[in-house]
Amino acid sequence: MLRSYLKLAWRVLWRRTFFTVISLFGICFTLVVLMVATAVLDHIFAPIAPEVRQARTLGIYRARMIGDHRSQTSMPGYQLLDTYARNLPGVERMGVYSMAQTVYSYPSGQRITSLLKRTDAEFWRILDFTFLEGGPFTDQDVANSAFVAVINQTTRDRFFGGSPAVGRTLEADGQRFRVIGVVPDVPILRLVGNGDIYAPITTAKTDGYRRQLMSGFGGLLLAKSPADFPGIKAELETRIRAAQLPDKQWQRLFAPAETFFESIAGNLFGGREEERSHPERLWAVIVTAMLLFSLLPAVNLVNLNMSRIMERASEIGVRKAFGASSHTLIGQFIVENLVLTLVGGAAGFGLSALVLRALNTSSLIPHAHFTINIRVFLYGLGLAVFFGLLSGVYPAWRMSRLHPVQALKGASR
Amino acid sequence: MIRHLFTLVWNRKRSNLLIAVEVLLSFIVLSAVTTFAVFYADNYRKPLGFDVDRIWVISAEAHASAGRTSMTVESDGSDKAAAATQADRERIDRRAMMAQLLLALRDLPEVESVAAAAVTPYGGNTWTSDIEIGGRHHRFGMSAGTDDFARTMGLEMLRGRWFTREDDGSAWRPVVVNERVARELFPAKDPVGQFIVEDRQGHAAANPADRMRIVGVIREYRKDGEYAAPENFVFDRVRLDDTRADVADARDIVIRVRPGTTAAFEERAVAVLRNAAPEWTFQAEALSQSRDTALQYWLAPLTAAAVVSLFLLVMVAMGLSGVLWLHVTQRTREVGLRRAKGATAVDIRRQLVGEVVVLTAIATTVGLAILVQFPILEVFSAVSPFVYGVSLAISLVCIYALTMACAWTPARMASVIQPADALRYE
Repeated sequence: MLRSYLKLAWRVLWRRTFFTVISLFGICFTLVVLMVATAVLDHIFAPIAPEVRQARTLGIYRARMIGDHRSQTSMPGYQLLDTYARNLPGVERMGVYSMAQTVYSYPSGQRITSLLKRTDAEFWRILDFTFLEGGPFTDQDVANSAFVAVINQTTRDRFFGGSPAVGRTLEADGQRFRVIGVVPDVPILRLVGNGDIYAPITTAKTDGYRRQLMSGFGGLLLAKSPADFPGIKAELETRIRAAQLPDKQWQRLFAPAETFFESIAGNLFGGREEERSHPERLWAVIVTAMLLFSLLPAVNLVNLNMSRIMERASEIGVRKAFGASSHTLIGQFIVENLVLTLVGGAAGFGLSALVLRALNTSSLIPHAHFTINIRVFLYGLGLAVFFGLLSGVYPAWRMSRLHPVQALKGASR
Repeated sequence: MIRHLFTLVWNRKRSNLLIAVEVLLSFIVLSAVTTFAVFYADNYRKPLGFDVDRIWVISAEAHASAGRTSMTVESDGSDKAAAATQADRERIDRRAMMAQLLLALRDLPEVESVAAAAVTPYGGNTWTSDIEIGGRHHRFGMSAGTDDFARTMGLEMLRGRWFTREDDGSAWRPVVVNERVARELFPAKDPVGQFIVEDRQGHAAANPADRMRIVGVIREYRKDGEYAAPENFVFDRVRLDDTRADVADARDIVIRVRPGTTAAFEERAVAVLRNAAPEWTFQAEALSQSRDTALQYWLAPLTAAAVVSLFLLVMVAMGLSGVLWLHVTQRTREVGLRRAKGATAVDIRRQLVGEVVVLTAIATTVGLAILVQFPILEVFSAVSPFVYGVSLAISLVCIYALTMACAWTPARMASVIQPADALRYE
């Protein structure tokens, strides 16, 4: 039975090629856009290397000072992290990194622009880098402010033409570093892990950063388990609320421990005085945008399927005249729709892979490494199946209730 | 005729409803993208306010790790500096060092003039000030520049003057505003010499020297570039020899070079600066280059939206012509009957295209009712009603052209139907 359905579905697909192409184009295109959009989101938020312990990691990514009629928002300063975020209960490791800073080198007259990130040694234990050469710097290196650096693949190519770099030196921003390790490129949108050159925090040109409450640094807190998150958040909040502010014009300081997604939501939707982050609002925006986008292709698909089934009124009449039940007819249309959707889905999957590969190889986003999110692909496919069924079953059901004589006459209104 | 068309559309309301919904959605998508594009085009033709060629911007950062990007400062205008700092001493030292750096650069043969400023074009930095004047809320973009800034950047003075040594001993805070601010605050008066008096005076009440007084009006200073909406802009004065802590600071150096200067100048300038201030970090960029990068960032979302909606519209067009084609084949007998009763091929074509036009008219009326809420409720205050008007007109023309084009082939097919063929089976 199913085999004959499949056979019939295949024949129907080829009978009106133009319509099949339109339906496939719609399904395929919708899936590609959804896939590319989620690949970009994944690229920013998902736990991909080196941030493999993201499920256990909280960060301190933003700080806000609030005073009379004024506020200042930035990343936290080193002093804030050093004074309040160390030795929190439930935290296994605490790391500090600086925001990647653009620095220039002129190794042979030609300018090389790199992102320099200064970190402590814990940074390398919280994130999980795969070292292509050498290894990370140690607590000892940081304490001694040793001028050593870990560089990424791109930097190795730019400075040393891709040949082994460990033990060689490079100049950046007027400082000379000895390379001790090489890591793969981290996508530029991964604000925690990205960088071309990583150097110990203590190699900063002055120690002024140690006295700054605001700007320039991020903190990473590796909890023993996600169950410890509420306790860590509450403790940090209590500590910071009791903080002594250096300047009379500021009354409150605020620097929450949160996941990266929460911090982005906080930056987008946090008002001037508002302290809580609203991750659910960011979710709502993302989901609504995707649903709104799928609306037009869905209506298009429904429209096409309705018209196609009306066209087959006489075929349905014949089948009914020969004793086919409504159930059989509906079953047949379900199979036809599923075949169409699956073919479109397969094409969409292939096309998404091609588009993402093109984006990866283009220099649009440096070090991009977009991948297909299978989960989202299945959601998209599910959506296409849903609308396909909705649009196919309803008219089929209406048709199947027609009197055979009427249907044979082609009554389609 | 029109009433008859409405009746025909009504008779097939179930399938026509779906088509109308599809047209409505396409219309909304189309007007969103055209509004975006028209907004950019409208901004692009407005004056920029400064020169781009032969200008280099060097950002000078005192602490290697005190990141200067992505810092947002919101203030009500009562604090003049970009951010309050606990180390006043360091600020004054930094200012003195900046003065030395400018002197060092001035000695280079390629340099025509050099200045320092707080917020430079295309830098991505923002400093805004919200103040209330006479019960009305005003938001200004802010920057601060040294006395040579206007000359170096080629700012066009409309009235008054830029900052000079004259302002050294003034009993107020001299500011230069752009034309928009002058028109908004002093529509009837000559803005030069006027005080900007806030309702809620913070520092200004305590210290009369903090009252802002306009000394000059510039044409424009659109620091975010060609595609950004023009905004209110106010300049503070930077005095590098100022020993007070809480006055405006400059973080960027701007240089106007002589004609014929090559890119090799950059390395030499950075070397001079690194020599003078080994603890600082410098990033140099020709303004034309940072403009290219910035414009790319502005265009990227528009390009992405345009590509996606182009595909959407192609999909809709194909779907619509397919559906209309099927409708025509279903209505063969009706068309045959009309032909037999004496309707010409042109009549048939007119009827079928007319039905689609009626459908589109219904859909766009609903669409307009929705879209007109945006300018009325001022959802995007930067977008002017003029931009909305132009883009809605463009989208209307496009959507009618699209649906009529989709109806054209099916209507032609219908018009060649022979009455005898169509009625044969009856």
